[in-house]
Amino acid sequence: MSLETDKIQEFITTIKQHAGYDFNDYSERSFARRIDRILVDSKLSMDDLIIKVKKDADFLEQTVKNITVNTTELFRDPEVWQSIRYRILPRYESQNVINIWHVGSSTGQEVYSMLILLNEMNLLDKAKVFATDLNTDVLEVAKKGEYKYRYNKEYLINFDKVIKENPYNYDEYNNVPYEDYITIDKNRDLFAMKPLLTKKPIFRKHDIITETNIFNTKFDIIFCRNVLIYFNSNLQNRLFEYFHNQLFKNGCLILGAHESMLGPITAKYRKKGSAYIKK
Amino acid sequence: MSYKAVIIGGSAGSFQIITALLSALPKNYSVPVILCLHRLKHIRKGFDDALSIKSNMPIIEPTDKEHLKPGFIYLAPANYHMYIELGGFIALSTEPPVNHSRPSIDLSFASAAYSYKNKLLGILLSGANKDGAYGLKRIKDEGGTVIVQDPKDAQVATMPETALDILSPDYILSSKQIIEFLLKLK
Repeated sequence: MSLETDKIQEFITTIKQHAGYDFNDYSERSFARRIDRILVDSKLSMDDLIIKVKKDADFLEQTVKNITVNTTELFRDPEVWQSIRYRILPRYESQNVINIWHVGSSTGQEVYSMLILLNEMNLLDKAKVFATDLNTDVLEVAKKGEYKYRYNKEYLINFDKVIKENPYNYDEYNNVPYEDYITIDKNRDLFAMKPLLTKKPIFRKHDIITETNIFNTKFDIIFCRNVLIYFNSNLQNRLFEYFHNQLFKNGCLILGAHESMLGPITAKYRKKGSAYIKK
Repeated sequence: MSYKAVIIGGSAGSFQIITALLSALPKNYSVPVILCLHRLKHIRKGFDDALSIKSNMPIIEPTDKEHLKPGFIYLAPANYHMYIELGGFIALSTEPPVNHSRPSIDLSFASAAYSYKNKLLGILLSGANKDGAYGLKRIKDEGGTVIVQDPKDAQVATMPETALDILSPDYILSSKQIIEFLLKLK
């Protein structure tokens, strides 16, 4: 936490020159914290870290992976997923195709949450699902859709809440067993998504800060939850503009539970719960 | 007032003093009050409502990049870490828990220490773990003022005791004295 600002800037400049990743517009304190962690874990000084990323391309890639935050959960914030199910998805169900992009998908739990919802609404065949992340290690985990059972038991509590209950109609109860979608093997400590889910999405490496849309299509729904919190307001606003261009009219951007747009950009979207709909 | 913000960390056994404090502070209190409190894993909703009942100031679970203003209480949202950035605004993070805690009091305190330097008042209350001690030391090291709840007065003494092991606070006060201290700041 006491790292000097000019040393951090030197590190950021070095990474950009050597590999093109741009951390200039990251949120300062949380970025300093990530660097602090890396120094503690690697037992390097800040000067040594800068020297090592200059000399060792593999180490640089690994360091970039360690900077990015990869926490994600199945149905994180169940209330948000309930509103996606009952308030957002119905807007698109009469379309022939629904294009969905998960930005910063990490290990895939959010992608699989959405696929489960789509299947419950008989929309899975209509959906084209793309998911991207900067970190290729987490994308490999996402493709497999296999997680630890031990640490993730509460996924099932979230599953029940989102899939079985309808907060807009208390009389409704959908008795869907999790086994329709998930294989649990306690002996192997395995919590695995079934093939009907894992065969569906296209996972690709993509840097939202430096690259443009690699899929050559616009989208009906873009998920970007708890990704922009690591960026400063300038970069957030640039990306809100960018997402606006990548959405079809009436397409929607879904942010994290404690993320919001501020300032002039809000005129281009209409807020509906945690979703921002392109005007 | 010589401070620009007050930041308070608490865990098990701190709910009572927090509600007493919120009912004592007037609604035109002159600096933002930042609360970083641990809560039970499945009580993610309604905690702000429970605190609001007693509070004269509105309690906000802030969104990312929200600017801190006097007259408001900022409660770290469940399941996020909350940093205080230079310039007095919030930055959230979903990094893994630190010392089993998210929000981590250490991270909130340390970032606020950096951003407010000697213009910060940090208070560590009752709790059953070791979170907050390191962060409180950072506040002290940056020239801020630190108060530790008297372990004899705390419902659970571990958190204040851990802080006292690694730093000499400006004040060791009972919950009643902490509230008096905050009311005397003008």
